[in-house]
Amino acid sequence: MEKKVILIKDTGFKSDTTRDIQSLFLKAIRDIGAEESIQIVRAADLGIYNQGVVVKILPDNTVYTHINSDNIDQIVKAVHKGEVLENLLLKDRVEQTRIVLRNCGVIDPENIEEYFSKGGYTSIAKCLFDLTPAKVIKEMKKSGLRGRGGAGFPTWMKWSFAANSFGDEKYVICNADEGDPGAYMDRSVLEGDPHSVIEGMTIAGYAIGAKHGYFYIRAEYPLAIERVENALKQAYERGLLGKNILGSDFSFDLEIRLGAGAFVCGEETALIASIEGKRGTPNPRPPYPTDSGLWKKPSIINNVETLANISAIFQKGGDWFSSIGTEKSKGTKVFAVTGKVKNSGLVEIAMGTSIKDIVYNIGGGVLNEKQLVAVQTGGPSGGVIPKKHLDTPVSYEHLQELGSIMGSGGMIVMDEDDCMVDISKFYLKFCVDESCGKCAPCRIGGYQMLSILNKISEGEGELEDMDKLHRISQAMQKASLCALGQTAPNPVISTLRYFEDEYKQHIIDKKCRAGKCSKLIQYTINPDKCKRCRLCVTNCPVSAITGDREHGYTIDQEKCIRCGRCFEVCKFEAIARV
Amino acid sequence: MKKMTRDDLEKCAQNTCQSTQYIKVGMSTCGIAAGAQDVFDIFAKEVKTRDINVNVCKTGCIGMCHAEPVVEVAVEGLPAVMYGGVTKEVALRILEEHVCGKRFVNDHIFDLPVRR
Amino acid sequence: MVKAKINGITVNVPEGTTILEAAEKVQIKIPTLCKHPDLPPTASCGICIVKLVGSNKMLRACCTPIEENMDIITHDPEIVEVRRTVIELILSKHPNECLTCGRNGNCELQKLAEEFGIRTSAFQQFLPDIPPDTSTGTIVLEPRKCISCGRCVTVCQQNQNVWALCFMDRGFGTRISPAGDGVSLSESPCVKCGQCSAHCPTGAIFENDDTAKVWKALQDKDTYCAVQIAPAVRVAIGEAFGYKPGANLTKKIYAALRRMGFNAVFDTNFGADVTIVEEASEFVQRFTETPEKLPLITSCCPSWVDFMEKFHPDMKENFSSCKSPHAIVGVLAKTFFAKKRRIDPANMFVLSVMPCTSKKYEITRSDEMYSSGYQDVDVSITTRELARMIKQAGININDISEEEPDHVLGEYSGAATIFGVTGGVMEAALRTAYDYITGGKLKNVEFENVRGIEGVKEGAIPVNGFTVKVAVAHGLSNVEYVLNKVKEAKRAGKELPYHFIEVMACPGGCIGGGGQPYGITDEIRKKRGEGLYDEDHNCKLRYSHENPFVKKLYEEFLDKPLSEQSHHLLHTTYVKRPEYQK
Ligand SMILES: Cc1cc2nc3c(=O)[nH]c(=O)nc-3n(C[C@H](O)[C@H](O)[C@H](O)COP(=O)(O)O)c2cc1C
Ligand code: SF4
Ligand code: SF4
Ligand code: SF4
Ligand code: SF4
Repeated sequence: MEKKVILIKDTGFKSDTTRDIQSLFLKAIRDIGAEESIQIVRAADLGIYNQGVVVKILPDNTVYTHINSDNIDQIVKAVHKGEVLENLLLKDRVEQTRIVLRNCGVIDPENIEEYFSKGGYTSIAKCLFDLTPAKVIKEMKKSGLRGRGGAGFPTWMKWSFAANSFGDEKYVICNADEGDPGAYMDRSVLEGDPHSVIEGMTIAGYAIGAKHGYFYIRAEYPLAIERVENALKQAYERGLLGKNILGSDFSFDLEIRLGAGAFVCGEETALIASIEGKRGTPNPRPPYPTDSGLWKKPSIINNVETLANISAIFQKGGDWFSSIGTEKSKGTKVFAVTGKVKNSGLVEIAMGTSIKDIVYNIGGGVLNEKQLVAVQTGGPSGGVIPKKHLDTPVSYEHLQELGSIMGSGGMIVMDEDDCMVDISKFYLKFCVDESCGKCAPCRIGGYQMLSILNKISEGEGELEDMDKLHRISQAMQKASLCALGQTAPNPVISTLRYFEDEYKQHIIDKKCRAGKCSKLIQYTINPDKCKRCRLCVTNCPVSAITGDREHGYTIDQEKCIRCGRCFEVCKFEAIARV
Repeated sequence: MKKMTRDDLEKCAQNTCQSTQYIKVGMSTCGIAAGAQDVFDIFAKEVKTRDINVNVCKTGCIGMCHAEPVVEVAVEGLPAVMYGGVTKEVALRILEEHVCGKRFVNDHIFDLPVRR
Repeated sequence: MVKAKINGITVNVPEGTTILEAAEKVQIKIPTLCKHPDLPPTASCGICIVKLVGSNKMLRACCTPIEENMDIITHDPEIVEVRRTVIELILSKHPNECLTCGRNGNCELQKLAEEFGIRTSAFQQFLPDIPPDTSTGTIVLEPRKCISCGRCVTVCQQNQNVWALCFMDRGFGTRISPAGDGVSLSESPCVKCGQCSAHCPTGAIFENDDTAKVWKALQDKDTYCAVQIAPAVRVAIGEAFGYKPGANLTKKIYAALRRMGFNAVFDTNFGADVTIVEEASEFVQRFTETPEKLPLITSCCPSWVDFMEKFHPDMKENFSSCKSPHAIVGVLAKTFFAKKRRIDPANMFVLSVMPCTSKKYEITRSDEMYSSGYQDVDVSITTRELARMIKQAGININDISEEEPDHVLGEYSGAATIFGVTGGVMEAALRTAYDYITGGKLKNVEFENVRGIEGVKEGAIPVNGFTVKVAVAHGLSNVEYVLNKVKEAKRAGKELPYHFIEVMACPGGCIGGGGQPYGITDEIRKKRGEGLYDEDHNCKLRYSHENPFVKKLYEEFLDKPLSEQSHHLLHTTYVKRPEYQK
């Protein structure tokens, strides 16, 4: 008989009583003499937060919350008898839904047999033998899948453009140039489940009539490259790639191309130029790649995550896929949740899950119980979503309405220590550094905006700078050639929209609430609280703190570089940041 | 190697090729950065020297980056569980307490609610 | 055909027409700084944006084909505001140096700033600190003034196939540069054609100004100053004075040059007639005696010569060894003419006025350019420089009365004048060669096959029962096709595809030269070409070898074509040159 295991964890924020509760459980188990059949274990994390003491019973997966000493005997008995206590059950549990990451962390990515065991490559078999290319596209339409690379363009539509486009050769390109700061879901998929992407590309190739495909992977992803290479080899050996796949008439070849590491090479026309060996700069569209792409042939470019969905769609059907998500955004989205969140990591949720659920119920809430101020999505092309809009469900439309975007899936949680001017600066600087420099609005506009933000964060800002920011933003959005320049002002616009006061504070009061803008803060020592321990003196990297035990210590503001070391090390809160 | 057919694939899909006793180490870039390679090596070595009948294997990223290195353990008679923050010491404890002693290790279980 | 609306006006245009072009059809001008009619769009300046009714994105008019039923707005307050901001942004990275700039008065950026009435600089100025590159002595690269429009890169890479220019670095640091790390333009493969300078909208690439040297020579009482003007100059210089392209100002220029103080006013066309006599003789000689040295390839374009020496040195033997017309006038001025007039050539200064930047390089390119014992041509200036000099001299070109050139290096045939347009050298040489071989005259001296602006033109002329096959290429990117055909045939031991090949580096030939007045388009090339063809058509003399002064030259001085004397003075040699000098 399989043993029962009770996992316990105090999920409250204040104190941890897990150990005490565990002893009570131990006692209860001993009382009924079930030591052999029931184990009680302290868990580190049950993925449930702020629900008091929580227990989870394995293998039944029953979860009880808000346990106190009165319930314990009852629970132990129920477990022993195999009963369920309805009144304690956790209802409405926020769960991840894993389609893209279905095999990640489950199978051995270097072993194709394990992918087979999950139904791998049965989708391409189904497409090749049961469906015409037109039917494949029809099924895709049914699924409602939209591109996960940023723009959210309906995948079936892209495929059907390419399918209807005339060309003796056509190409399928997997965009794995993932360059957004903080994003790494594509890397995880390639490292954890490379075959699903290969299968997705093969299906795409069959649907549009391509015989050739490319993986465009950034060179900074050596492990992903290695695993894809290995997977390609295995697939070729078994006739799942190459000539006459699975004995059908369809042949498809895949190769890897390495990206040189410029963010803009993820933009589809720049990516094509880069594969062709040219300077990786965007080109005007039209012509769209589906008409004239790689080597001027019809081509589709899809994101890794988009492609990882495909084989799941054909295993379970387009209808199944479209049953998940919201009206216009189907399926799931993977987010890389980082910043001031307890459980940073990859989260895959059904579209329509609220941001709040992601942060609090899956992410475990804000680090150190600080106040959440905003959540940033969409990376350098996105914007901030202030606390008041945290209930917004995740979907392409909802995020756009708030002035952000889904983007490729970065989600950064920000708390009271984050300064909005500083955040804007960070993202804008990324775009300025990554701008290819081809078109004037982005090349010069971004630089000008950054210099204005720098001015503001240094206390040199004027009110009219805010107008200038708006003006340049407008020019960049309307007149930049590619989406990098068109969206680069988004973080600035959205912080201006929701946190105008914070900008004004920097400009008028010359203050930074979060204490991030070093030119706007000062550290001083409160002589009443100072215990003359000298800890700050020894920790100051520039020896700006002078004095002696008798007269106390002071900080020389000329010398101080505002690194905040003293503020952090002082045990008596004697150092103030103003 | 023999080229596969559709039937071969469907047969493979019925197989669960994973053994019932396994230690699965998350070995993606994030896991490796957190020390997963060492953990993998320890398990592999110890399982061999102690001659334990358990399959040590790798897998991709489960998404719990805050808890890396992450290890999933399944032994007969116990439900499979996920451990996080697995250092060398924890790895040894998992071997002794969980794999050999059939008792879960306290304070390292990370149980993610995931629907697949 | 596509039917659409622009600002409410219905347009009917062929499929593939861009919004920009369609708008022009209905008299709407959409501003742009990067689109040039000669070149595919680079889509880089962001000024030509327009609105599509019903969409909140703006489209680039330069590269978006107009589609059926599109409803386009090209001008409204929001669009103009965006354009103004972009212009101000460009100006924030551009020096305020109009007064001392080579493009002052005909700069596209300056003009746009003027049209938009930009008075204050809204944004802080950030000027890159990159020194000018004057290494070639022909064209100057001033990256500080570059607005990264990409025209020069496109022209140099795509149209000229030289790849001497590229963008270095990226983002805000993007800068125009010779292709190659730490390479100067003279160390790059640049062939000095100046097409980049002719297409640059700003003063970032311009001809090396040599006018000061000319003024200095003119001031010196002891110096005998002679000047010559190239065929293509006469039909283009008028554009700088408000004339229509193609207006022939030959005799007004003679007059102006004399007023400026030149002691002798010659015409490069005379040299062209001599070139033809020599080159046709060369052709006849190879045709009848050494067919293994065919095809004969023209060599009067120095950029083409430079290109061949760098990229096709194996074709060296096929080049006509004859010097280009201005070099011939130069050497004859300091020998034949000087002797006749008893002038000490040491005290002579010969200026050539050319449509070309490359001639500045040619005048010192090899020892043979000093065959008079002195530098044969002392200074070469472009059409643009001469126009400025005429203005500086205060000469009213419109009203000045016409004058004749000076003997003996002044008279010319119609065959010489069409040297300035693509196909012209070929046509002129064939006229003379036909006569030499057959002893008879052509029925029709005008070869329509080799005229026109197509990149490669081919023709076949029956001569004494044999067919002479010719090819004409202009714009260096068109050369490859012609040379490959020759090389393939030679490799396979097959019959030659061509016996005679003319190449001009600049699209359209010299009339589209890198030193001509700004604003070149195919339309203007056509007009300038017509100007030259008209002159030829109306000339009594249609054959170079019938120019009485040419005849006299051979009688009195050179003996006969390809004589020892003419070889010494009028011919040159070629060497293999590395693509990169570093
Ligand atoms: C500057 C820039 C960077 C981009 N980077 C990526 C990237 O790294 N990965 C990606 O899939 N798409 C990226 N995109 C979006 C692609 O251009 C393209 O829309 C996407 O690959 C299409 O795939 P999908 O339809 O599957 O989303 C980027 C776009 C821009 C403008
Ligand atoms: S918007 Fe920026 S990145 Fe995109 S083409 Fe223009 S300069 Fe390059
Ligand atoms: S390039 Fe044009 S705008 Fe710039 S300094 Fe010269 S004339 Fe003025
Ligand atoms: S002069 Fe001609 S070859 Fe030289 S850089 Fe300019 S376009 Fe290129
Ligand atoms: S040098 Fe002139 S033509 Fe070349 S990119 Fe700069 S502005 Fe344009």
